[in-house]
Amino acid sequence: MKKFVLNTLLFVLFSGLFYFIALFFWGKYTPSMLKRNINYKICSYGHIHSRLSEVKKKKDIDILFLGSSHTYRGFDTRIFSKNNLQCFNLGSSSQTPIQTETLLKRYLKRLKPKTIIYEVYPITFMIDGVESSLDIIANDKNDLFSLEMVFKNNNIKTYNTFLYALFRDIFNLNNSYSEPKTRGNDTYISGGFVEKEISYFKPTPFEKETIEINKSQLKSFSKIVSLIKKNKIDLILVYAPIPPSNYKRFTNNEYFDNTMESYSEYYNFNKLMSLNDSLHFFDAHHLNQKGVELFNNKLIKILNERKVK
Amino acid sequence: MLFNSIDFGIFLPLVFMLYWFIPNKKLKLQNILIVIASYIFYGWWDWRFLLLIFFSTIVDYSIGIRLNTTHKPINRKMLLWASIFVNIGFLCFFKYYNFFLDNFITAFSFLGTQIKPNSLNIILPVGISFYTFQSLSYTIDIYRKKLNPTKDFIAFLAFVSFFPQLVAGPIERASDLLPQFHKKRFFDYSKATDGMRQILWGLFKKIVIADNCAEFANSIFNNSANMNGSTLFLGALFFTFQIYGDFSGYSDIAIGTSRLFGFNLKRNFAFPYFSRDIAEFWRRWHISLSSWFRDYLYIPLGGSRGRSLTKIRNTFIIFIVSGFWHGANWTFIVWGALNAIYFLPLLLTNNNRKHLEIVAHGKYLPTLKELFLILITFSLTVFSWIFFRAENIEHAINYITGIFSLSFFTVPKLAGMDRAITILILIGIFILIEWLGREDQYAIEYLGRNWHRSIRWSFYSVIIFIIGMFMPSVESPFIYFQF
Repeated sequence: MKKFVLNTLLFVLFSGLFYFIALFFWGKYTPSMLKRNINYKICSYGHIHSRLSEVKKKKDIDILFLGSSHTYRGFDTRIFSKNNLQCFNLGSSSQTPIQTETLLKRYLKRLKPKTIIYEVYPITFMIDGVESSLDIIANDKNDLFSLEMVFKNNNIKTYNTFLYALFRDIFNLNNSYSEPKTRGNDTYISGGFVEKEISYFKPTPFEKETIEINKSQLKSFSKIVSLIKKNKIDLILVYAPIPPSNYKRFTNNEYFDNTMESYSEYYNFNKLMSLNDSLHFFDAHHLNQKGVELFNNKLIKILNERKVK
Repeated sequence: MLFNSIDFGIFLPLVFMLYWFIPNKKLKLQNILIVIASYIFYGWWDWRFLLLIFFSTIVDYSIGIRLNTTHKPINRKMLLWASIFVNIGFLCFFKYYNFFLDNFITAFSFLGTQIKPNSLNIILPVGISFYTFQSLSYTIDIYRKKLNPTKDFIAFLAFVSFFPQLVAGPIERASDLLPQFHKKRFFDYSKATDGMRQILWGLFKKIVIADNCAEFANSIFNNSANMNGSTLFLGALFFTFQIYGDFSGYSDIAIGTSRLFGFNLKRNFAFPYFSRDIAEFWRRWHISLSSWFRDYLYIPLGGSRGRSLTKIRNTFIIFIVSGFWHGANWTFIVWGALNAIYFLPLLLTNNNRKHLEIVAHGKYLPTLKELFLILITFSLTVFSWIFFRAENIEHAINYITGIFSLSFFTVPKLAGMDRAITILILIGIFILIEWLGREDQYAIEYLGRNWHRSIRWSFYSVIIFIIGMFMPSVESPFIYFQF
């Protein structure tokens, strides 16, 4: 029996090491069709690499924006700078509370924001967040917070990609990467915002959907709120504008509003503003620059009113 | 709890350690632990299922003891029927109630009478067809005086609920498995390592072969109306390997897990896709079920003795019942009948026991004739699996019509074709390994046994690595759980 247990442990060590080394060669040298479970995309969509490189140079800011692509395409840091607010936009594609928690734990001490504006979008509370984790793993240095995020996702893709990323981090294989400022119609603006060349959305019908919040996402969300409150940082939850046709597809928006309100000060801009599907959005989710300006000015007005109060 | 889940990955080592570290390896304590572990394993799906299995166990345990003390034939027969009534009654209610109701409604509406449907929203308890048959074989064997009943209730509880084979077999006979719960078990190093090896191979079959094939088989079968003939053929091929990898993979994990605890289970698959005729296929596919039907249905009906008409009747009965056992759908019945049609010419010409040994025994390659026979048998099997997988008869017929159209000679069109090619290559490697190990209990039983430990461990590590590279993101349940 002792021999069996000992040999099993030895084999686990052996195969673990084998797996780790093989993963590196597999990730580096095999064609993408064989890498379904290693999804390592450096400099992927949304200028995440540029944003995560820039955040390391920032500190002591007024406002930190967190959330999904609605964040990095919705909060134009230049507009806030004009109003003497030093901001950083730490949004990433499909960022769910699991990733927000990781980023916050990693950068909160350095950035020391006075206010955090956390963009909350129902879908990010409903999905597992695997794709967004992969994005962060591939574009940022990995640490124990990444490991915690990987365990929360509990998905073979995130495990493999994380191990592969560790290898690349250890051997500094990503040092030569630099992301161009303009990619396609997107331009990266210092501070984390991504400006899209002006275009207009042609609305299509949406299928009705009921918001069902994922338990593990809500757990992370609660932790985020506690962490922010513990650090005595002002927290504002914001539901950024989406095309009205998209907003109306959710059959239980009230439920989402009530949930968010129970955590912190909350503004649903889909109720506070009346924007037009075609004029103010460039696709089914994101504001175009005209929409961004209207939204940001409205938000600044609210922030100023809060200050007066 | 699924074998291919993290839950089971934690559960198994825990139970294993507790089991072998029980002071003095006390038999009673070990059996109690198996019962507790098995009930946790089964209750993981839905704790309500536990009441059902416990009730079945009590009924058969009591009837077994009464059968032994009752001598009047009429009373014995009544006791046996009571056991059959309870076991098959549960099975019929949970599995077939809505099927019979729907068919009655259809039949009456055909005659012009409208019946208001009153179907129930019944949850099918996982593995009910398996443990019901296992438990039933106990009372039948006691009735036939082939087995003495056990007085050890814990051992009987463990026999019915033994977690490695509880939900998808192999369906064990009481005469084989029950005595193992009465005998003191000793840890055997080579048996345990062999068990680990078989678990590894089972996981490979399930995760790499079955789950990846499932992705394409599902997408093709679910959208078959829009697919060309060659794609439909590819879909049937993917399903053929999905069902084999899934079910034989489960059996390997079950047998391997049992070996870790010192038990020997019946072999359930013996490389069926290398069969040279359908009779051989059925001796190699789901062996524990085929032999159950043979012993408790086919032989009592007269088996292959008697006139040709009796043989034909018995063959159809056994195959149709076997099909119906798989599920409450006409597709399974047609699948069974189709196999009966394949089987009958062999039976009627006394050629059904022609191929008893594995093909090309002691050789590297089959002869051209053997290869031809294998391909013919394989093609017939692929064809019948279409009925097994289809949603209904109409779907199956449309699917087959689609294959036998001119579009069969066009290039398959499928989203993710490069991945499909990767999976086909993996299937090719899998067939090669199965071929090399076809004379053993499972493909990698002796593969690499004489290699240096580092090379042998590297080989197993490669299997683990391939599992890691090709496993789907979401665990998928085993197909046979629904039966």
